[in-house]
Amino acid sequence: MTAESTLYDARPWQQAYPGAGIPAALPAPRHRNLAHLVHSACEKHAARKAFTTVVPNGMNGTLTYAQVGEMSDAFAAYLRQVCGLQAGDRVAVQLPNGLAYPVVAFGVFKAGCVLVNTNPLYTPSETIHQLNDSGAQVLVIVDMFADKLAEVVPKTGLRRVVLAGVSEMFPAVPNLVVRGVQRVWSKVLPPIPPLAVPVDRFSQAISQGRASADAATVRSWWFDLPATDIAALQYTGGTTGVSKGAMLTHANMLANIDQVLAMGKSHMGGDECVLTALPLYHIFAFTANLLCFFEIGARNVLVPSPRPVQNLQRAIENYPITWITGVNTLFNGLMNEEWFTAFPPKHLKAAIAGGTALHHAVAERWQRITGTRVAEGFGLTECAPVVTFNPMSGVAKPDSIGIPVPGTDVRLVDDNGVPVPQGEPGELIVRGPQTMLGYWQRPAETDQVLRDGWLYTGDVAVMDTQGYFRIVDRKKDLVLVSGFNVYPNEVEDALAKMDAVLEAAVVGIPDGKTGEAVRAYIAKNPDFTGELTKEAVLAHCRTLLTDYKVPKSIVFRDELPKTPVGKILRKDLKAEVKTEFAKRPQA
Amino acid sequence: MLTPLETQLLGVMMMVIMLGMGASLTFRDFLIAFKKPKGVIIGIVCQYGVMPFIGYLLAVVLGLPPPLAVGLILMGCMPGGTTSNIFTYFSKGVLALSIMMTSVSTLVAVVAVPALVAFYSGLAGVTGEFAIPAANVAQVLVVLLVPTMLGMVLRKLNPNIGATIELIGSMLGIAVILFLVVSWVPRNYQLLLQTPWSVFFAAIGLGLFGMLLGYWLARGLRQDGNRSRTISLETGIQNGPLAVLIVTLTFQGEMQQQVLLVPVLYSLFIVLTSSAVTVWYRQIATREALARDAAKVRLGAVAA
Repeated sequence: MTAESTLYDARPWQQAYPGAGIPAALPAPRHRNLAHLVHSACEKHAARKAFTTVVPNGMNGTLTYAQVGEMSDAFAAYLRQVCGLQAGDRVAVQLPNGLAYPVVAFGVFKAGCVLVNTNPLYTPSETIHQLNDSGAQVLVIVDMFADKLAEVVPKTGLRRVVLAGVSEMFPAVPNLVVRGVQRVWSKVLPPIPPLAVPVDRFSQAISQGRASADAATVRSWWFDLPATDIAALQYTGGTTGVSKGAMLTHANMLANIDQVLAMGKSHMGGDECVLTALPLYHIFAFTANLLCFFEIGARNVLVPSPRPVQNLQRAIENYPITWITGVNTLFNGLMNEEWFTAFPPKHLKAAIAGGTALHHAVAERWQRITGTRVAEGFGLTECAPVVTFNPMSGVAKPDSIGIPVPGTDVRLVDDNGVPVPQGEPGELIVRGPQTMLGYWQRPAETDQVLRDGWLYTGDVAVMDTQGYFRIVDRKKDLVLVSGFNVYPNEVEDALAKMDAVLEAAVVGIPDGKTGEAVRAYIAKNPDFTGELTKEAVLAHCRTLLTDYKVPKSIVFRDELPKTPVGKILRKDLKAEVKTEFAKRPQA
Repeated sequence: MLTPLETQLLGVMMMVIMLGMGASLTFRDFLIAFKKPKGVIIGIVCQYGVMPFIGYLLAVVLGLPPPLAVGLILMGCMPGGTTSNIFTYFSKGVLALSIMMTSVSTLVAVVAVPALVAFYSGLAGVTGEFAIPAANVAQVLVVLLVPTMLGMVLRKLNPNIGATIELIGSMLGIAVILFLVVSWVPRNYQLLLQTPWSVFFAAIGLGLFGMLLGYWLARGLRQDGNRSRTISLETGIQNGPLAVLIVTLTFQGEMQQQVLLVPVLYSLFIVLTSSAVTVWYRQIATREALARDAAKVRLGAVAA
């Protein structure tokens, strides 16, 4: 462990920093904790517009930094004085993007409580698992899903529920119109079921909070809160197994904010306006859109639902958007819209992609249409989330996840944790100020991923001589065919090159002869008019892949299982394989 | 017939409706339409080529008497109704295209409607007291351009006010029809009972045939499904209240009563037929939108 350790520990990627305007070291911490960051930003940018929520017909509501500061104080007071929470108590938030979201999240930080972001689209059983695992005492939920409370509340330790609407804090008439449409036309406002715990509307919670504590009291709750305290339990494991809460401290998040700002600095300055179409409950939008842009005093345009993509039209037309964060499907969707390609946002400076791999074709077309690059990065919930990013200026490499952000060490290691030589694939491990404390109340799982201060990501990557990384695959998704490693991504890429294939997912199945064999699940491209046969797929694969990589089994599906952000869930397919082969005797 | 007060009220409501139409527009919408003018051109052809012809044809084939024939022809020559925008919105059609077609056809109306009404009335043999003076039509249309412009400006200044006015305008389009139902139908139910089936057929058929022909013409000219459905709704849905207003400003007494029959019946039934069609189109559009979101990037489009 000599030459190889030095290889990674010398941080070869730092050569690329100067050309891209990235500082080698992070600035000294400026904030005691996230509440302090929020407080400072609200004072510094008081009169500026902080958040604007835009619904598809263009109706909108806006909060200034001063309003966000005052209302998040009130919400913190509500949590401490009315709900009776203490520092460290968990508050679950199940909201789509809207004006209530930042007020609630910042209020949780100011109360010294722990934020538990929860996907609003979760089923009652998923919600119950997350609320019980985190021990959440208060739930803030969007009123569109209030009907789920009947099942959720009795099975959890919730003490109080707060309901917020999509058009919360819109001016009176637009609010009336949006709620009227929701109630009468789309019928998405269910009646609130009778519950054994008190239920407050968001506005009631704010006014109760205002009446119960002044700003100085609220300040006393967060002022001495150590940065090493947990700020959020961010649930993950959707693609790997049972959902568990990553403990992210204030220090983790503050560091990641500085790391993202360091990478984006060259394209920030002046009046930024960021389009937030990704859900804020997801760690990528939470750190990048919500926190980073709040710190620099930007205006954040929140879109409650980006599907269909048409919903973004008024938001993009009516505001001078300078930054867009998205995932592959969002960028792709925008470029299929006439109004977008005819008038791409003219103030746009940068776009960043996360979540899933950005397709080469999408990135190229985006650059041609908008004149800006889409920078792709790599991150994971456990790292709050950003680990690497392609520089916004200077050298960006296609299909690469870029270079580690400042202050971060990355190594590629083999199964024994020993660094692999230059150019060899190895598991990507991370050490930096952004890596989590561990999984909430799960020491065994924590020990599996956190070893000697390094976080094991489970992703296999290679590094080139300039320190740019490229993801090869998930380690646990490798298929072992007669002792050969097959990387599902490689087979999926080969399959995706067929016009007739919309998308494909590859998993291993048990095989009597070879131990494991490759199975491909394929969704047919609806634009393709001919017939898609197994023979055609096999013939295509044989032209691109060595024999042992060619799928032995092919299954056609109308749709592949996906996460809300569009990641294909190989784990669901693996589970299917497991039940399928458990039923039949081994060949 | 309508009382002078009702006529005035109708006039005011039309002003608000046109204000709402203006508020649904952005200058950018116009620019997109000019960049890809095909959709709008097809729309205009449907609006002023297909619809007046259907109106004329129905009047002749069904052998309607002059006052009914002129009502039907006038109805066929009307620009797109602002309610078509709300139906397009709910059917998840191409709202911008619908709005563009409504506005462009309304602008063109100042010239096209008087000319077409005169042409087809003449062709159908309607002359003398039942002929609608072209100047009347043009005058009404020019006056209505003022609130349209005002709406556009409001929209630009404040999207919340714009979207609210847009909604009120579209809703009022339906309210006007309800107003007619309440004020006109009870006083004339005897007349309705005596009205032969052919008149009902003409009033309902104008909208339905318009939607059908509009769709297939658009498909034939290689518009995609969503645009074709939008053009279809836009073609079939005419500005009924405008026709009623023109009739009430042109005719008096018993004559007004007779000429008004077809526009009123058309307005009543188009709400029902287009609601049904909207629900159907909406289902198709939802399926397509989800498929499009998931669609593969076309490599051909990248190479272009």
